[in-house]
Amino acid sequence: MPTIQARGLTKRFGGDVLAVDHLDFDALPGGVTGFLGPNGAGKTTTLRMLLGLVRPTSGSVLIDGHAYRHLPQPTMKVGAVLEASGFHPARTARNHLKLIATVAGIPFGRVDECLDLVGLSDAGDRKVGGFSMGMRQRLELARALLGRPEILVLDEPANGLDPQGIAWLRDFLKWYAAEGVGNGGEGRIVIVSSHLLSEAQLTVDDVVVLAGGRLAAQGKLQDLLSGTKRAVRVRTPDADRLVAALHAAHLPASVRDGYVVSEGATPEAVGPIMVENRIEVHEMVSSTESLESLFFELTGGEGMHPGHGAGLMGDFRQ
Amino acid sequence: MRRLLAAEVRKLWTVWSTYVLFGIVVVLDLLFGFGLALARGGRHGGSAGLAPHGSSQWFANVFGVLDNSRLLALVLGVLIITGEYRHKTVTPTFLAEPRRGRVVTAKLGVAFGGGVALGIVTMVTGLVLGFVLVGLKVHSCLTSLTRGGVQQGMSQALCHAQHGIYFVATTHNLWHDWSRIAPGVILGTGLFAIYGLGLGALLKNQVVGIVVGLGFTLVVETIVTAIWPTIGEYLPGQAATALEDAGRTAFNGGTAQLLPWWGGAVMVLVYGVALALVGTLTTLRSDIT
Repeated sequence: MPTIQARGLTKRFGGDVLAVDHLDFDALPGGVTGFLGPNGAGKTTTLRMLLGLVRPTSGSVLIDGHAYRHLPQPTMKVGAVLEASGFHPARTARNHLKLIATVAGIPFGRVDECLDLVGLSDAGDRKVGGFSMGMRQRLELARALLGRPEILVLDEPANGLDPQGIAWLRDFLKWYAAEGVGNGGEGRIVIVSSHLLSEAQLTVDDVVVLAGGRLAAQGKLQDLLSGTKRAVRVRTPDADRLVAALHAAHLPASVRDGYVVSEGATPEAVGPIMVENRIEVHEMVSSTESLESLFFELTGGEGMHPGHGAGLMGDFRQ
Repeated sequence: MRRLLAAEVRKLWTVWSTYVLFGIVVVLDLLFGFGLALARGGRHGGSAGLAPHGSSQWFANVFGVLDNSRLLALVLGVLIITGEYRHKTVTPTFLAEPRRGRVVTAKLGVAFGGGVALGIVTMVTGLVLGFVLVGLKVHSCLTSLTRGGVQQGMSQALCHAQHGIYFVATTHNLWHDWSRIAPGVILGTGLFAIYGLGLGALLKNQVVGIVVGLGFTLVVETIVTAIWPTIGEYLPGQAATALEDAGRTAFNGGTAQLLPWWGGAVMVLVYGVALALVGTLTTLRSDIT
């Protein structure tokens, strides 16, 4: 069973920038772990420390109890898709993969398998210089999969992928993490960092939320979400009557931005009250548990651009 | 280590820049070789003070210029390591082999092999060049005799007789000088690629590496050697020159202060390995972000 364990993981850049601050976390096999956090929260730095590319200032992050550089066969243990990873523009996709296969002692047949898996079979002999962003991302994934690793680490994997690509990746990651579960295996560890919270909500099972280099929350997504506030918002010309009726039913109610907002209430509770009091309704919205609201709660809305709605997650790109 | 070496070799032959570099070497060899051959000695057997055409000294002059290929071997060495940073392929490289010292060691080996290959290409080009020059001499005799009013048939007979002897003599000189000069040039280019790799490992930046490498060899070394020859002989360029018997006898007229050939080889190797070691412990140890 693969394990990842970070203890007191700290990275200070250039003396005064504290990118990661005494971070403790564990990643478990069998599910997808989401690394979430606003810009500069330390996600990429943490993943790069895990992969031995960045040296921790103090603390450690261990894979099966070993630092990455002490893994005997790193390509077979960990596959990584990283944003700043590069390709020689004049080298073909197939040759790019063959280089890594050569170092890891993987037969070249696996190169074709992996190209096929990510849908690049026809582009294998083309130079990477002419690849689109999405194709490069697929090629990175193919490289990460060469060694059939027990641990897959992906930094912003959805970047550059079209909607079909993102949907495919989501299913692929879930399948990859769970493969072997129930057949005596415990599955694999898949870690994904993402700024696309709505996408992450569909993909991840566990979350590690970072804010300012520190751990803001960790756990099963469902457990964390059940603790978040729900609310019902109603647009009505009879706002005052509705507030009074809700108060009479011992539900919280207030008027905000032309809406009657009842925090902690459910549509099932508010609906009958409106019918009973014959209150005209123009719109009723139920905000259920969302990763987005949880995220803002945990990170204090850090990094949010004033004036932008919470849905404009483009501002949170790492 | 065998897998790492195989991967590094594959890196070289899967990009066009390697072929361009070899092409440049051949073109420069031919340009310099022809230029020098025509300047020294001339077609008609040598002006005063210069070695006569076809003599052993003359071939030594022509082949001597080929040792400049080591500058391109230096560039090759710089490219082998700085290309990884330029194209950010250093990330997948270090993911596949996180022990960075091993990666640099493999690159040292491949740089040497690549440099030796450059040296071999250079010297084979030189050999072809030598035969072409001998052929030109034969041709020039024919035309000069014809111009001198000798009958066509007569001139051919004369030239054949004359060139039978000339060809045998010059081919002997050609082989003699080639086999004397080639090993030094080939070893020198191989070692200079290691030197370039060391520079690249330390400087990390491709352009800076090439500018510093060529600038130091062509400018700094030349000045230092001119002023303090005792220091100059220990610098990489002069140390590589010491590898060549030709450099000793032809260009420098035996007056240049040079280390023994093995001393030169050791010096260049020490420069390359020391720079690579310092680079591995400092620059390459740094975070890949």
